[in-house]
Amino acid sequence: MASLIHCPHCGVRPKEEFSIRGDASLVRPDPEASDEAWNDYVHIRSNPRGRYREHWQHAAGCRRWLVVERDTFTHEVFSVADAASAAREAGR
Amino acid sequence: MTRTYISRHPLEDLLPLEPGIRAVDHLDIPRAMAIAAVMAMDGEEAAVAAGLAASGDVQVRFTGPGEWLILSQSETPEELHRNLSLLLAETAYIVDQSDGRIVFRLSGPNVRRILAKGIASDLHPAVFEIGTSSNVLCGHISVNLARTGENEFELIVMRSFAVALFNDLRVMGREFDLSADFSAQG
Repeated sequence: MASLIHCPHCGVRPKEEFSIRGDASLVRPDPEASDEAWNDYVHIRSNPRGRYREHWQHAAGCRRWLVVERDTFTHEVFSVADAASAAREAGR
Repeated sequence: MTRTYISRHPLEDLLPLEPGIRAVDHLDIPRAMAIAAVMAMDGEEAAVAAGLAASGDVQVRFTGPGEWLILSQSETPEELHRNLSLLLAETAYIVDQSDGRIVFRLSGPNVRRILAKGIASDLHPAVFEIGTSSNVLCGHISVNLARTGENEFELIVMRSFAVALFNDLRVMGREFDLSADFSAQG
């Protein structure tokens, strides 16, 4: 587990201040999409060894959602960005 | 049936009525303080930040992007709310928090060593400068920590956590004989 997260609003913080939601690369399917697409979106998750993008919430700090890119094997953190601005950049 | 609600500090039963002997490291607890939460409307963050910076005798504490806690010692909660509403009209949402938050003032030469027992953030004087404020985790309780002086910190906590945080601070400060009292200025 990556133990120090550089929050873009609060600075370097211990991981205990955050709660982790999971994969940040998922895109919500169209409401009319097939049951399989929805099943995949809701239930099916990969468990990668290596680089992973996750949604973390800084629950005990600024309470903002962040996108944390980290390595699940080496614990290295590559980037931390505000989830709202990340979503805006992705055009969502 | 009408009820009369009496404002009561949550630590009233835990602190002696008469002020005790003050140690070098001291926990000072103001009995009443006007506190308001301010949240900027979408796109107005910079305007609200500038307005608050120019507002003079209130203390501004950062809680998140576009969100602040405003403290005032001299104003009543109603006055603070009215003044902020006038200052930030149509740019921010203002909610009175005077009964919802409790302020702790921790001061003394060992204050960083006391706080280090509960807070994992870097509080080195060169990193956490005077005037800095932020939400941090103290043990398992989320508090707003601000550095108000050379060796002086203020913690703002939700009222229902005040007793737990007080007990935690007592244990954290026991090594340094931390004393605790209600603030003399009320």
